[in-house]
Amino acid sequence: MQNTDIPQFKVDYISTSGVYKTPFTFILIIQLYFGCLVLLALNLWYYNDLYFLLTHESFLSNVLVGQFWEWILLPMNIYGNILLFAFSIILFSAGVFKILNKLCPPKEGVFLRGSKEWKYTHRRFWTIYFPIWLARALPLPWIDIIVYRLFGVRIGKNVVAYEGYIDPQFVEIGHFTMTSLHICIFSHLIYQDKIIIKKVKIGKTCIVGPQTIISPGTILEDGAILGANSYTWVDQHLKGDLIHVGTPVSMTFPIQSIEESQQKADRVKGTSIENDVKNIKEGKND
Amino acid sequence: MFQPASLKGDSPTPIDEGFRNKYLFLYLIIIFLSFIPCIIFEYSYITLLWNDGFFLIFFLLIPFNILILIHLLQLSAILFSVLILTILNLFYNPVEGVFSRNLDDKNYLFWNLRNIVKKWPLFTSASNPFPWLKNRFVLRFFGVKIGKKGICDNSWISSEFVNVGKNVIIGMGSTLLSFGIEQDKFILKKIIIDDDVLIGAKCIVMPGTHINQKAKLSAHSYTNIDDILLEDSIYIGHPAKLKKDK
Repeated sequence: MQNTDIPQFKVDYISTSGVYKTPFTFILIIQLYFGCLVLLALNLWYYNDLYFLLTHESFLSNVLVGQFWEWILLPMNIYGNILLFAFSIILFSAGVFKILNKLCPPKEGVFLRGSKEWKYTHRRFWTIYFPIWLARALPLPWIDIIVYRLFGVRIGKNVVAYEGYIDPQFVEIGHFTMTSLHICIFSHLIYQDKIIIKKVKIGKTCIVGPQTIISPGTILEDGAILGANSYTWVDQHLKGDLIHVGTPVSMTFPIQSIEESQQKADRVKGTSIENDVKNIKEGKND
Repeated sequence: MFQPASLKGDSPTPIDEGFRNKYLFLYLIIIFLSFIPCIIFEYSYITLLWNDGFFLIFFLLIPFNILILIHLLQLSAILFSVLILTILNLFYNPVEGVFSRNLDDKNYLFWNLRNIVKKWPLFTSASNPFPWLKNRFVLRFFGVKIGKKGICDNSWISSEFVNVGKNVIIGMGSTLLSFGIEQDKFILKKIIIDDDVLIGAKCIVMPGTHINQKAKLSAHSYTNIDDILLEDSIYIGHPAKLKKDK
């Protein structure tokens, strides 16, 4: 509705999302360097103390008082450093991301290779690469959702986005939505020398099944369920409170309560067994 | 690309269970040897720079130290595994064909051996946090031809009998299998992918497929064994069928 100025894309096949390596990829080294500098600035005095306790020498000229109990802080220091390293890099690259957005605000549409939009989508991807890797490597389960929120993905309350690929721009996920394993939510697709960018909207209390692909332009209304192993076509509109299945999505089923479906299953089973018994009694095999 | 943990794994190289424990020493030897250059590097770094007046430089160069260490581990893992691979290939050269899935069969035995040798370098490259020298770099050492200007870093590619051309895009989470296991038979057949091919996300390319130039395989579809995909055409479905223009 809000994108009336963009023509409808006619797509023959669904491709994939991905980026090429560009010279901007070296931002990773800057991020790493920044994280290490923060660690160094906050830890130098502590390790100087420990070094003093070990060797009675110090590599900083102004020695703080080396006390024996400082050894007890070492495990806490290690855990703290891991978190500090990750969070400083995440915040730093969020700042870089904001600057990139100011320089070239993200747009929907079809872009050729080498155009300004193409370049800036690649740049945005490479800034997010390392923080997301760090967030996934940390043992805190909610941290990648926080990182996604920092980088322009709108994610609501109580969302399960444990494992799966989510594009870092033009994705909206509502409250209480659940996504399963091995999902791909693409807001951009590459076609050799073109990329297509379009917004993906997932409503409240949706369920996205495992091994699914959500293509750009799809809208899941509130309460829609996307079945396992299916994928959506570009610009597909899935209605709410229904189960959608197919490759690409073509079938819909009503949501049943567990008791209802159980009754149905029992009925089917009962009839089939009765028929079998009848056939055997009458001497009909097969 | 930042991929979830389930996609971070190395390429699909299942190893026979009756075989795993017997030849574990090969795997452990490669791990042990690959750490030696890293230790030498760290030792020389500390002894050179941990002196009066160099303390600040020591700390400022630590990020580069990490960067070099990770890539050095990867490179030395590749070096030692390629060394052992060449020795293995002197004993028995890999051949295409259909064999019986039995450890008495030399083809199957040596396929397993090659997999156990390749496992550590593929694992290190897959779990490397930096996007350089990934998947494709390692596979080139094992004799897989992969052209330039492609995207194939977050897909699973078999480590032998695969030819990939220039400017090929292989989608996220798709697999190229040059081997197949069916009941008691074991298949090894070459996959050929020509230039400018696009393979969508979550595709499966089975052994023996030949994808011609500019062919497109849509997402979430798979090909049959010994399929030939025509030039400049679109394939969709389970298994993939030619999409005709209306």
